[in-house]
Amino acid sequence: MAITFKKDRIVFSDVASGEDAERLLEWLQKHPKAKIDLSACTHLQPANLQVLMAAKCSIIAKPKDKLLADWIDSALQLI
Amino acid sequence: MNPLLEQFISESRESLQGIGEKLMQLEKEPESSELMTELFRFVHTLKGNSGLFDLPELTRVLHAGEDLMDAVRNGEVAYSPLLADRLLDAMDFVGLLCDEIDTNGSTDAKHVNNSVRLADSLRQLIVVIVPTTEGASSAVVNELPIVPEQPDPANQLPLSDIPEEISMAAYRAAVTGKPLHWLAYSPVEECFFQGDDPFYQARQTPGILWGDITARTPWPKLAELDPYCCVLDFSILSTATLEELQEYYRYVPDQVRIIPVPGSFLILPQGEPNGGPVYEDFVADALKMLHANNIAGLTHATRSMLDVSNPNLWLSAALRWLLLVIELEPDNVFVCERILLSLRTMTPPVWHELAGGCDTRINGDVNSELPHNLAQEESEPVPAMLSPEVTALIAAQREILSLPDDIAWLAGRLKSVAASLSGCLHAIGANGIIQSLGAALDEALAQRASAPLLHWLDSHFKPSVDAAPFLPQSVQPATTTQIGQSVEEVKYGRRAEDSYSGPKSIKVDQVKIDRLMNLIGEMVVAKNALPYLAGRAENVFGVRDLSREIKSQYAVINRIAEEMQDTIMQVRMMPVSFVFQRFPRLVRDTSHKLGKEVNLILEGEETEADKNIIESLGDPLVHIVRNSLDHGVEMPDVRRALGKPATGTIFIRATQEADRVVIEIRDDGKGIDPEIIKRLALEKGIIDNERLERLTDQEAVNLVFAAGFSTASVISDLSGRGVGMDVVRTAIEKVNGTLQLESEKGRGTRIRLSLPLSMAVTNVMIVESNNQLFGVPIGSVVETVRIPRADIHTIKKNQATVLRGRIVPLKPLNSLLGQHVPPRANEEDELAVLIVSLGDESVGIMVDNFRETVEIILKPMTGVLAGLSAYAGSALLGDGSVLMVLDIKEIL
Repeated sequence: MAITFKKDRIVFSDVASGEDAERLLEWLQKHPKAKIDLSACTHLQPANLQVLMAAKCSIIAKPKDKLLADWIDSALQLI
Repeated sequence: MNPLLEQFISESRESLQGIGEKLMQLEKEPESSELMTELFRFVHTLKGNSGLFDLPELTRVLHAGEDLMDAVRNGEVAYSPLLADRLLDAMDFVGLLCDEIDTNGSTDAKHVNNSVRLADSLRQLIVVIVPTTEGASSAVVNELPIVPEQPDPANQLPLSDIPEEISMAAYRAAVTGKPLHWLAYSPVEECFFQGDDPFYQARQTPGILWGDITARTPWPKLAELDPYCCVLDFSILSTATLEELQEYYRYVPDQVRIIPVPGSFLILPQGEPNGGPVYEDFVADALKMLHANNIAGLTHATRSMLDVSNPNLWLSAALRWLLLVIELEPDNVFVCERILLSLRTMTPPVWHELAGGCDTRINGDVNSELPHNLAQEESEPVPAMLSPEVTALIAAQREILSLPDDIAWLAGRLKSVAASLSGCLHAIGANGIIQSLGAALDEALAQRASAPLLHWLDSHFKPSVDAAPFLPQSVQPATTTQIGQSVEEVKYGRRAEDSYSGPKSIKVDQVKIDRLMNLIGEMVVAKNALPYLAGRAENVFGVRDLSREIKSQYAVINRIAEEMQDTIMQVRMMPVSFVFQRFPRLVRDTSHKLGKEVNLILEGEETEADKNIIESLGDPLVHIVRNSLDHGVEMPDVRRALGKPATGTIFIRATQEADRVVIEIRDDGKGIDPEIIKRLALEKGIIDNERLERLTDQEAVNLVFAAGFSTASVISDLSGRGVGMDVVRTAIEKVNGTLQLESEKGRGTRIRLSLPLSMAVTNVMIVESNNQLFGVPIGSVVETVRIPRADIHTIKKNQATVLRGRIVPLKPLNSLLGQHVPPRANEEDELAVLIVSLGDESVGIMVDNFRETVEIILKPMTGVLAGLSAYAGSALLGDGSVLMVLDIKEIL
């Protein structure tokens, strides 16, 4: 399970696949305030990324991979 | 190269030729839907085949061609000569790639551009009439794909988005000679469904320095969001070369734009625009030091200024850049000056506008395209910086002037050109040369020719820019590779005057090969006449020297003829894999049907033999393998109970032994029980009781080859229809093959087929009997002996002799052939006996005399003679006489 849905947080680990994006979208529709924890994430299938971008999620933990973190910053315009 | 690819290449060539032909025919009858359908099928097949390999360039073009042909076939697009041209172009390209694959085994990524261009040119034709609404093609079409080599100029890039430290690193890389490229990667919307992960693709871009993701459209509400419609754009700054990037993105070249970025374009200070003219003193001082070439002082002053400034200020950023430029390119006064000047306005220098005249100073390594204006600056009052518009305008005028002069309105044209130029010069502030322009115009008008004006233009603006007057890339530096590619692009196609690298193999009708075979056969026979001639020359005419010469000539012809024969034989050779390839499927299906588990092992598939031999092998082998499956290999539970692995093994191996192919079929099944065979043979009346007693187990096992023998108690639909192994034996023997069967009860069966490599040439031994010559195939001759008449015994009515302790029955050839003449003995009263093998037995055939062995081309008996079973065929001898070749098995 690459995405774990907790009460107010969504925790990504390893690689989030294309199928995960659908559940992510559903969850975010129900919990628009959910915070995103990407610390253990190594890659996101871009559909997930699109959901995160559209939902304007707030990231509470960036990926450990600096380059991935930069990409996600740029995508979510956190720079 | 693997055989599959080889076949693909040869098939592709055929298809390409077919496409070419069909297109030519279509030009004559463009309405023929039949031709159109055939054409479509060719392209379709070609594309389908290409998909098997990793050849994106090839597949892309063919895919576009297929789409186009589909549209044409469905009447959505009309056939036109333009269409034919483009399709032929595309097919030339495919042919080119095929050649390349043929020589290198793969295609070069450098073809990406041509591939995209051709695919687009084909797709454009579809769009003209039928605007597609959705699907991949529309996305490609609507986006107006831009080939990487014609990118937008770097000046429109949002380079300021790049953080300062990355810009600095990139600048540093550029100064050290690395290429800098900006990639704009816009994946198509449905790319997720094609299994693409553009984000991953972007992340793995070679030489990536920085990347950015933006959405093409504002995000809708979450409830309306389709996460699987990709609307992301990726921007990437990379230090990889153009080739590397093209190679990396070769599967999506239409979604990527690659734009070279001069390093200096990145010098874009960013920060709080606090302050303002406060820095005027510093700027003035710094400029002074710069011009005095006081680099140390300038560095020092800049550092002190930086120390006292807030690092977030625009000023600080500019100063940091200044320090970097001084460090890396201390000679680049121009850039330093621009940075300092920009402090006054707090706006970054607009590098691309300056690029026209400051090439060497901005970035010598990339900007080598436009060295001319710099030189002009010193001598002529033409401004160093020409904006793209001005450059384009000048190029346009040059183009007009290059048109032919033989028109009535030349004067008007010249005047208008001069007016444009003068306006242009005015605008760029080069008033100094307007006067000389006027003079040039007057001269041109007087001569009624464009030359003077053109000359003027050339002397003031170097013509190197005019290669592509209206393309923005004239402003933007092009690397040498791009120039190379654009030149190549013009002529990648192959025309009549180009040299074709022909296919390496040709298809030949088998009849032609057979004819060749017959001819060489006749040649061999004709050649064999020479020794007779030599003999006659010596014996009849008594010219010894001539005889010797004929013999030496014969040796030469003999050698050539033999080589020729060998070569022709090679042509007819085929690998046994031709027969073997059907077995994996056969074994799989059959074993499934029987509920058995069988593992098939094939070996030596590359062993070659004559086509006829290979073809004659097919049915017997299938029969043997089916027998093994049906009667040999036991059911899995039986096998387990016997302590064997549940999966049975059938092993087929082909090897070459001298001039024969040996095929061995082995299974580890239950083997053949000699007792059952004996009993069955007795029941069926194949053997009698007396013989039953004498049969060894091995002999008993071989009874399965006897006619009318089938051991299966139940006739299955697989084998055991009563035709049994005797059919196999007959088929093998028909091509002069032999067959051996060994079986061990409970352990398995082994069948060995031995076949001649080729049946074209037969070696026969010539024997003489009753003043006639007969041939006996040397394969069946065991030995020749002379037996004293005294040693021949008559048992009942049959004659026999004892040879090395074994009784050998003797038969006179004459009586076998129905001639009642006794065999003649020689002076020592010995009879010539030819011992031949008949299955496992030896039989002696009494003849009058032995002659030599010869190589002959055996011609089967035809016509009314076909009914004579005593003869295997006939052959021509060197002296022109006909030799009848005996079929030993038939006469005995």
